[in-house]
Amino acid sequence: MTATALQTKVHPALEGSLLLEVTSVRAQTNSITSISFGHPLGEQLPSYVPGSHLVVQYGTGANSYSLTGAGSAPTEYTISVLRVEDGAGGSLAMHALSVGDRVQVSRPRSAFAPAATAKHHLLIAAGIGITPVLSHARYAAEWGASASLIYVHRPGTGAHVEDARELLGSDLTECTDRNSFREVLTTKLTTQKLGTHLYVCGPTDFMDSVLEQARDLGWPKGLLHSEAFSAAALDDGQPFAVNLVRSGVKLDVPAGVSLLETLESAGLNIPNMCRKGICGECAAPVLRGAPQHRDLYLTDQEKADNTTIMCCVSRSLDKELELDL
Amino acid sequence: MRTASQSPATGTGGEPGFRGVISVSFGAADASADHDADGVSRQDLRFASANPEALANLRSVLAHSRVGVRLVLAGPPADVHAAASAVAVCGLVDEEITILCDEVGPRVIFCGHCHTSTTTDHAIGTDVVCQGCATTLTFTDHFSRRVGGYLGFSAHAEEAA
Ligand code: FES
Ligand SMILES: [Zn+2]
Repeated sequence: MTATALQTKVHPALEGSLLLEVTSVRAQTNSITSISFGHPLGEQLPSYVPGSHLVVQYGTGANSYSLTGAGSAPTEYTISVLRVEDGAGGSLAMHALSVGDRVQVSRPRSAFAPAATAKHHLLIAAGIGITPVLSHARYAAEWGASASLIYVHRPGTGAHVEDARELLGSDLTECTDRNSFREVLTTKLTTQKLGTHLYVCGPTDFMDSVLEQARDLGWPKGLLHSEAFSAAALDDGQPFAVNLVRSGVKLDVPAGVSLLETLESAGLNIPNMCRKGICGECAAPVLRGAPQHRDLYLTDQEKADNTTIMCCVSRSLDKELELDL
Repeated sequence: MRTASQSPATGTGGEPGFRGVISVSFGAADASADHDADGVSRQDLRFASANPEALANLRSVLAHSRVGVRLVLAGPPADVHAAASAVAVCGLVDEEITILCDEVGPRVIFCGHCHTSTTTDHAIGTDVVCQGCATTLTFTDHFSRRVGGYLGFSAHAEEAA
């Protein structure tokens, strides 16, 4: 019997997922809590690539969280969640969990993997962005890969600070204010041996400025990796129309209403989960027209192909899109 | 042959290193002529050919370079591609390397059947006989940095099949 058989009402996007039990809850800081999930019968869980995330169901919604472990032959999946009082409720639901609770989670998904050819991994994290980067650091320590970490956190509010110190020793640089970080970053970006790959996770503006400075200092795109853990607020966008070729209907998508909402109110059943361009569940095939990609899921190449649209957040550059729906 | 003079900085990742343009010329080519790098510091390396000594020299220059560096390789295709393949082990990605191939000159054809490399002066699109298995190979401009050569495949495969 598989664990999933125990659950009756599974979020459609979580099919093939796992029903796991909360095995531990530990406060990292006042606002960040680490939660571990294990198989109810103590079985081993599927391995994952460092930097992977897990989609966790709560009530009728779902959210994705980075796994903090190294990923090889795990018996537990551990996430660290920052409490967001005015969020959609996911973080509050996570913080309300206690040992023994059962939760539906996806299989781990990889979108921030370490480069196999890297000679060195330069990890950069701010705040709760430490979570996927910690997974990379653990993996590097486990397999003897070369890694260093710049971790920006305010004194007393940083999660996993002790873990990072233990894993990286003198290869960890902690910064507790913006000015010292700026100095450290400039030094690090100009002194990395060839074959170094950079991985950054943190607030969107933090990541943008790190990536911009790296590019200015001559870092090629192929060495830069970033993981957005929070989607930036998106504007309402322009109205456009969609032509659903298989259903033979044409719908208008007004400004401020998402394509996903439009499709749903027309009675279509579109799998979805995060509804913010992260999880990749709401992909729809595009036959004609150029989507205005606003998701964090598709790769740059996939976006350039213009054959898929994540309909929860993305819109259209053309007046009309033709979809294979 | 002369190589650029360079202070032999030793040590690991944490120190400043060269982040400008490294122009590497093989034979009579001049990598520096094709690539103007205004205001960017540069190093010129000149080698007669991409022999093991030259490649070792190039790798040691790269070991003292830091991310941000750009490598320009100029010369006959066989030399340029041997160098491109040799520096791949240093972890350089394509965006960091500019290849300026002489229009003519020896190319290395990697046999897709027996994996022997054959050097030829023939132009792209022509046939060459594999030194390893004597198959008549045709080759296109598909160059593999991994094997350091153009992929050659049986010129008459469709007839044989
Ligand atoms: S629902 Fe998650 S990407 Fe659209
Ligand atoms: Zn052969």
